Amino acid sequence: MSGQREIQEYNYSVFVGSDDFIDFRTIVPVGTSAPDFRATVLETNETVRLSEYWKNKDVLIEFGSLT
Amino acid sequence: MARAFAPKGISFVFLYTREAHPGENYPAHRSIEQKLAYAKAFKAEFKIERPILVDDLVGTAHKLYGSLPNMTYLISRGGRVLFRADWTDPPTIEYAIDYVLNSRARRRDGLRLAPFYAEFVGYRWSDQTKFQEGLARAGQQAVDDFARATERRSKQGPRPGRIELSE
Repeated sequence: MSGQREIQEYNYSVFVGSDDFIDFRTIVPVGTSAPDFRATVLETNETVRLSEYWKNKDVLIEFGSLT
Repeated sequence: MARAFAPKGISFVFLYTREAHPGENYPAHRSIEQKLAYAKAFKAEFKIERPILVDDLVGTAHKLYGSLPNMTYLISRGGRVLFRADWTDPPTIEYAIDYVLNSRARRRDGLRLAPFYAEFVGYRWSDQTKFQEGLARAGQQAVDDFARATERRSKQGPRPGRIELSE
């Protein structure tokens, strides 16, 4: 179980603007292997690995939130 | 776009992250149930048809890919990154997918093609009205926080990693 502190650090309460744009340039460059992860499928509540999607098809993945 | 490219072998998925602009109506996540509920609200609000994957509460998947609020990655069958962008812009995505599909078609036609590393500057549509509407949906706090952040940044000069081009 994740600690409350980790939860609050990641899910900031106040937007201040991201400084991660420069870091983005060196994380997972084109041509390298995409990192796999587990996530919950909203529609079914099942846990899935992203690699299950790229097993048979190309995958376009977009990141975001409601706000 | 997801529907147009589905027959061409591209799966579109959405990874639900932390709230980029938390406000009174949609405050920062403190439980996975809350995150799932906001993801459902997002699906309804924007009529999202593609599968929505919800990350864990500490952003494990989000952090693996760079933690930015609106990133896009095109990953090949087999798991290699073919294209990525620090923003999501539909025409740019279409351009990238078409490029990949065309390259494969040329290869199939017998052309000898070798992969290489490439980058380019993207141009996205910046719709400030729509953006402000989005902040208002989150609540007045989100509107105010963004205004404060913008004012603070204007005093700090160019931000590392952000592309500023006027031409």
